[in-house]
Amino acid sequence: MMTVVAFENVTKDYRTGFRKKKTALKDFSLAVKEGEVFGFLGPNGAGKSTSIKILLNLIFPTSGVAEILGTSAGNAEVRRFVGYLPENPYFYDYLNPMELLQFAGKTSGMLAGDIRERTENLLQTVGLWKERKRPIRNYSKGMVQRTGLALALIHNPKIVILDEPMTGLDPIGRRQVIDLILKLKSEGKTIFFSSHILEDIERVCDRIGILVNGSLVRTLTVASEHLDKSLEDVFIEEVEKAGGIQQ
Amino acid sequence: MMRAWAVALITFKEGIKNRVIFGIFIIALLLFAATTLITTLFMRDIVKVAVDLSLSTVSFAGLLTLFFVGVNLFSKDIDKRTIYMVISRPISRSQYLVGKFLGLLLLALTVGFLLGALSALPVIMSKRFYYYTEARFAWDVFFIAVVYIFIKLAIVSSIITFFASLTSNSFMTLVLAMVTYLIGESTEGVRSLLTSGIEAQTVSPLLSSLVNIAYYVFPNMSAFDLKTQAAHGLPVSLAYMSWTALYALVYITAVVAAGTLFFRRREFP
Repeated sequence: MMTVVAFENVTKDYRTGFRKKKTALKDFSLAVKEGEVFGFLGPNGAGKSTSIKILLNLIFPTSGVAEILGTSAGNAEVRRFVGYLPENPYFYDYLNPMELLQFAGKTSGMLAGDIRERTENLLQTVGLWKERKRPIRNYSKGMVQRTGLALALIHNPKIVILDEPMTGLDPIGRRQVIDLILKLKSEGKTIFFSSHILEDIERVCDRIGILVNGSLVRTLTVASEHLDKSLEDVFIEEVEKAGGIQQ
Repeated sequence: MMRAWAVALITFKEGIKNRVIFGIFIIALLLFAATTLITTLFMRDIVKVAVDLSLSTVSFAGLLTLFFVGVNLFSKDIDKRTIYMVISRPISRSQYLVGKFLGLLLLALTVGFLLGALSALPVIMSKRFYYYTEARFAWDVFFIAVVYIFIKLAIVSSIITFFASLTSNSFMTLVLAMVTYLIGESTEGVRSLLTSGIEAQTVSPLLSSLVNIAYYVFPNMSAFDLKTQAAHGLPVSLAYMSWTALYALVYITAVVAAGTLFFRRREFP
């Protein structure tokens, strides 16, 4: 199967002061195959969001290469095939989801008719169709999160990248997101997502990567590899083995 | 270009729906009303005063829009990370920045256009209601002056775009853009003061070259101020109009291009 997301020896250092730096990712390598649901697990500050931001060219690696569909992540055109939901998304206050989705569709090269049709489908799916004309500043956190999901999916991307997609959602919202991820999985999409919620990761992922202090310490296949232990035990064991969480 | 235009439209929509814009409109309308009242205090040059105050109101409202709504449109994208939603799409950083500039420009021009049209009202009222009116007033020069306010606002939009590409802080962008604007308003006056008359012999060569550098680096805003010509109905030559418009175009292109160079390397952690 084709590799759709690849990190090759990626290191990312952040400057934290004069001559001071913090390494967020250390020599990080990973390959995600087409159609795979890959879950990124790690404590706060492990480097999950950093790696996702490198993939979307929001930040640049200090060394190493990140690729999407065999093309450098720095190439804007490749993002036509990628849908992204950031952690704690924030959108334009005075616009409504219809306007945002229209913008997203247009910039992804969609035709006006397709944008209209897909907008209605997606807003129905995420339960925002009735609220579609309300400006986003009047939305609850969960509604903003669901708008973000619709935005990530408007152009029917091959790869969906979700950074903590359950943040701010109530149990019903969480359930909706899980169902949506499973639906996308059944459609053959590649999903790359990070979460703290082990139960969610275990439910939807084919493969899990455990990231601790900027290093990928273990990848495991959900179906086969930790049947004797719970994912929580495996996770804690790996974090401890890696020397705990370094601040 | 289509993607930059999509960014421009979303920026414009977000800006025009901002309540601050309504506040700016109300201030401008009050100033227009005040203009009509203030002109009654003058015994002569009534239309000149009305033209001067009306054009100043259009310029002031345009600047308020850019400084208080425009700056925020940029910095909120970066502060609140709305930019993730934009540049995670197939949009390059250059397209984003050019789109933002165009959105800002569209916003300032919309406000300028509406107020520019309304600015004729105090002038019409002064001409109708008062006995003394100047013979040399001409509407064409008045509207040329309005168009040159638009050009001035376009330059301010490019300056905001440039500073927003460098800083993540709205206050810094606001201060730097305002300072640049104020310096730009005065460089021509200072330069002509130092290069002509008695001051030319007494001023140090270092100060003289510093003023010269400032004259070329900062935009010459006074070149776009045609209030005096509009008030007195003085003709504005086609050559003057063409050269100043070309100067504005070159300056805006250079400033936005410089902004994109910085912005391309910028990270959004």
